[in-house]
Amino acid sequence: MSKYAVLNTEFPKVDALERALGTAKYAADYFMPNMLYSGVFRSTVPHAYVKKLNLDKARALPGVAAVLDYTAIPGKNRFGIIVKDEPCLVDDKIRRYGDALAVVAAETQELVDEALELIEVEYEELTPVKSFEEAMAPGAPIVHGQTNVHAKKHLEFGNVDEAWDKCDVIVENTYSTHILSHMFIEPDAGLAYLDEQGVMNVIASTQNPHYDRNEVAAMLGIPMNRVRVKQATTGGGFGGKLDIGVQLHVALLAWHTRRPVKMVRSRTESTMVSSKRHPITMKCRTGATRDGKLVAVDVVMTCDAGAYGSYGPAVIGRAPVHIVGPYECPNVRCDAVFAYTNNPMCGAFRGFGVPQAAVCHEGQMNALAKALNMDPIELRLRNAHKVGTVIPTGQTLTESVGFTDTLLKAREKALEVMPEAMARLKTE
Amino acid sequence: MNKITVHCTVNHKPVSVEIEPNKRLLDMLRVNLGLTSVKEGCSEGECGACTVIYNGEPVTSCCILAGQAEGADIITLEGVSVDGKPDVVQQAFIESGAIQCGFCIPGMILTAEALLMKNPHPTMEQIKEAMSGNLCRCTGYKKIEEAVALAASRM
Ligand code: FES
Ligand code: FES
Repeated sequence: MSKYAVLNTEFPKVDALERALGTAKYAADYFMPNMLYSGVFRSTVPHAYVKKLNLDKARALPGVAAVLDYTAIPGKNRFGIIVKDEPCLVDDKIRRYGDALAVVAAETQELVDEALELIEVEYEELTPVKSFEEAMAPGAPIVHGQTNVHAKKHLEFGNVDEAWDKCDVIVENTYSTHILSHMFIEPDAGLAYLDEQGVMNVIASTQNPHYDRNEVAAMLGIPMNRVRVKQATTGGGFGGKLDIGVQLHVALLAWHTRRPVKMVRSRTESTMVSSKRHPITMKCRTGATRDGKLVAVDVVMTCDAGAYGSYGPAVIGRAPVHIVGPYECPNVRCDAVFAYTNNPMCGAFRGFGVPQAAVCHEGQMNALAKALNMDPIELRLRNAHKVGTVIPTGQTLTESVGFTDTLLKAREKALEVMPEAMARLKTE
Repeated sequence: MNKITVHCTVNHKPVSVEIEPNKRLLDMLRVNLGLTSVKEGCSEGECGACTVIYNGEPVTSCCILAGQAEGADIITLEGVSVDGKPDVVQQAFIESGAIQCGFCIPGMILTAEALLMKNPHPTMEQIKEAMSGNLCRCTGYKKIEEAVALAASRM
């Protein structure tokens, strides 16, 4: 018998039954009487001013209930989870391929698609910023405001400059991780309607209903108690549904048409405009003693964060403090810079930058093992966090530090299931 | 657009549906018949979320026009449960912890049902192969495979 009521006990997931029966309602499964379908007209260039946007032909199509651009927004036209830098509908300029320029609501999905075809746009294109290096180059076009620097962080622990003298071996490498799409299996979807009390109701596939509520209220210029957001059963998010998806667009259309409005993104549209994992480049210098104790780690971290901030400020907060991973190191420095570019927006993705940092610290541990001719698991054990370790934030770990046990168990299992690979590890 | 009438069997009952000829079987099931367990994940035959059992075979309903289903025998997840209670495969998915967000699950369960109808005692290899057309972004597949094996052991 377990001494806990819950731990080590198997429970069926609370809502597994309705998911197994197929009765759970996801956002696209909601239908309402008198409901309109909707879609978004999006930019096909990454950086431009809108010279002309002609909505007349789309508006004239029978069966179209509304075609709206930013001028129809009654409240604020800037949103974003931490920094309010993204428009609901583009007003000043286009900052990425797929920026929303106009929304359409019509009686059927076919009519929506037809109306979207009738919208005409003329761009005055600007040179796009395509990488971190381009964003930082002198004279670079500016994506937002006065500078392309989206966020900066500096982490300093111990004294890295003085530590190199104490190192017997130093390894230096650069690691880059790539941009990545969550590819949640359910494309973003939602439905909005005004109820009899005049409350704007939004049912959506979302990870952030409380944030969505603030944004919808601000966009419509109404108090929060006149907005209700309901999270439909959500088909995966992994961070990608923390940013607002269709919610503002359906709410705006329902506001103007006074009818329920539903929007379901195609896989293509969902992949195009949902956030991505930050691609991070880490130039890292690691020093250790002959017997494999880490002495110093110095990292320069750069990132193309894309067109909008999203969760960037959280990611740049996490990645540097995890840059040495679960290893003790008395001297650590990390300088991180995230830049705005005209690439897809990066945001939260399972770990807020920590998986990217792991590519660097684990790569360095392997490189160090090679340089010292030491078993890479032994090297990790010698540096593993334990109770009493002071981590680079200055925090002393006082309990629940299971890394050594985990590593020993992992070694045991690896010897059992992949003995050849483990033998190679020793000889390499 | 002139509508056509499609006659077929859905979840053991004969139906006739008036529908535009450019609609897919997926639309007919979800919109005209209200069978929203059928999910749309990619619209191009890649993810398997829209799988239904079609004349005994698991097929992706996003790739079939409604008109093609004339005379077909179609089963969706709604037609698998008995009086709102899970059948042996559904129960095995629940017990094995094979369900996370659940969006892939209707397709997964129907693919498993189609396999077990033909081969009630599949090997793990046969299970993996049969399930290989259904994508899941949450579970990592292991528990789904275990669920199918558990269901088979109870057949
Ligand atoms: S929606 Fe049919 S296979 Fe993905
Ligand atoms: S349970 Fe979420 S995609 Fe399979």
